[in-house]
Amino acid sequence: MSVGEEKAKNRRGLSGWLNPYHYNLERWAYVFQRVTGLGILAYVVGHLGDTSFFVGGPTGTGPSSSTWAFMSNLVENSFGHLILVLVVLILVFHGTNGIRLIVSELGLVLGKPGAIEYPYKAKSLGAVQKAAIGLAIALALVAMVWTYLILFGGTI
Amino acid sequence: MTDLRLAIQRFDPSRDPKPRMVEYTVPRRQGMTVLEALLFARDYMDHSIGVRFSCRQASCGSCGMKINGRPRLACYTQVDELGGDSVVAQPMDNYAIIKDLVTDLGSFFQKHAQVTPRLVRSDAREQDNPTKEYLIKPDELSKVLQFTYCIKCGLCTSACPTVATDSKFPGPQALAQAYRYTADVRDQGGAERIESLDSEHGIWRCHFAGSCSYVCPKGVDPALGVQLLKRHVMSGKPPHLAEEASKEYRAPQTQT
Repeated sequence: MSVGEEKAKNRRGLSGWLNPYHYNLERWAYVFQRVTGLGILAYVVGHLGDTSFFVGGPTGTGPSSSTWAFMSNLVENSFGHLILVLVVLILVFHGTNGIRLIVSELGLVLGKPGAIEYPYKAKSLGAVQKAAIGLAIALALVAMVWTYLILFGGTI
Repeated sequence: MTDLRLAIQRFDPSRDPKPRMVEYTVPRRQGMTVLEALLFARDYMDHSIGVRFSCRQASCGSCGMKINGRPRLACYTQVDELGGDSVVAQPMDNYAIIKDLVTDLGSFFQKHAQVTPRLVRSDAREQDNPTKEYLIKPDELSKVLQFTYCIKCGLCTSACPTVATDSKFPGPQALAQAYRYTADVRDQGGAERIESLDSEHGIWRCHFAGSCSYVCPKGVDPALGVQLLKRHVMSGKPPHLAEEASKEYRAPQTQT
């Protein structure tokens, strides 16, 4: 075994997933899709956990009334609201970007293969992808601001 | 013109415990490629720098390396286009390092070979001793032509985030070639080719980060090929009606 054998394997490992630096916009979207997916998974697990204890809402009997109070204390404050605003942000981005990926992975909006010319711009990374990612970001921001206004501004 | 600061990752696995960066100052000139800068450093400063190259014109795919953080061909990247006065050259990610900038592409070629990258006829006798020439119409050729431009430099597989963690994933190059032959009207081996790729470590591991197409120096657009391959699998239809098409456009039999 040579001294540098482990380093010589040179696999990027998890940083290949998590670090999109130097790469294209779609690679950044890929990283955010995965990270937001994990965030949503964590939220959904917690959400299912706490709603499982509700029986009959705030006036219900059994563990539900105390759980309701517990959750109210957790969420009905500025920090709790901030978390919910972020949950809306990542949910809307993940959903919209996910639709882009489903459509793209069916090969539908990528353009047709054909003759290519210098400087060889990849068709699959064209304006449709950029616009769809832009739309996902815009919708997520709008939804986030809306949620912020509801939770902090008292509107609607 | 100002001199160029060229940082090269030096690493000989048989002697060094870990890689280190060594900086060389190289005289710069207009139109200089990164490969030329590397060869200047090797010829006049340090003969022990390991760098692989051959054609110097982006045809052979030997000089793939990570330049300023992104996989590129050294011969095809001008110092000027990178901007700034410094260039950082490192070996490509996801390939074992042989020495310095030279990486081992053995597993890459092996994965390429595993997708049966050739035209397959269902008739074994025809495969070994073709009785005729198989022609293809220009519009049918245009569907696969760009994928034939692959020079197997390995940049796409180095850029792929899935390859970074899944060693069984064939990688964008092999998958794009699988599409290239499957979509060819003269091919009849599509079903078998796809059978091995429609799996846990096959095409479904691609999540369309698109980095392969972003770094490809020849415009092959492997990401497009992989998504079209997925489309073929999802549609449940054979990729094309190879038999009918090849019958129709058979070459005229020569008179003996």
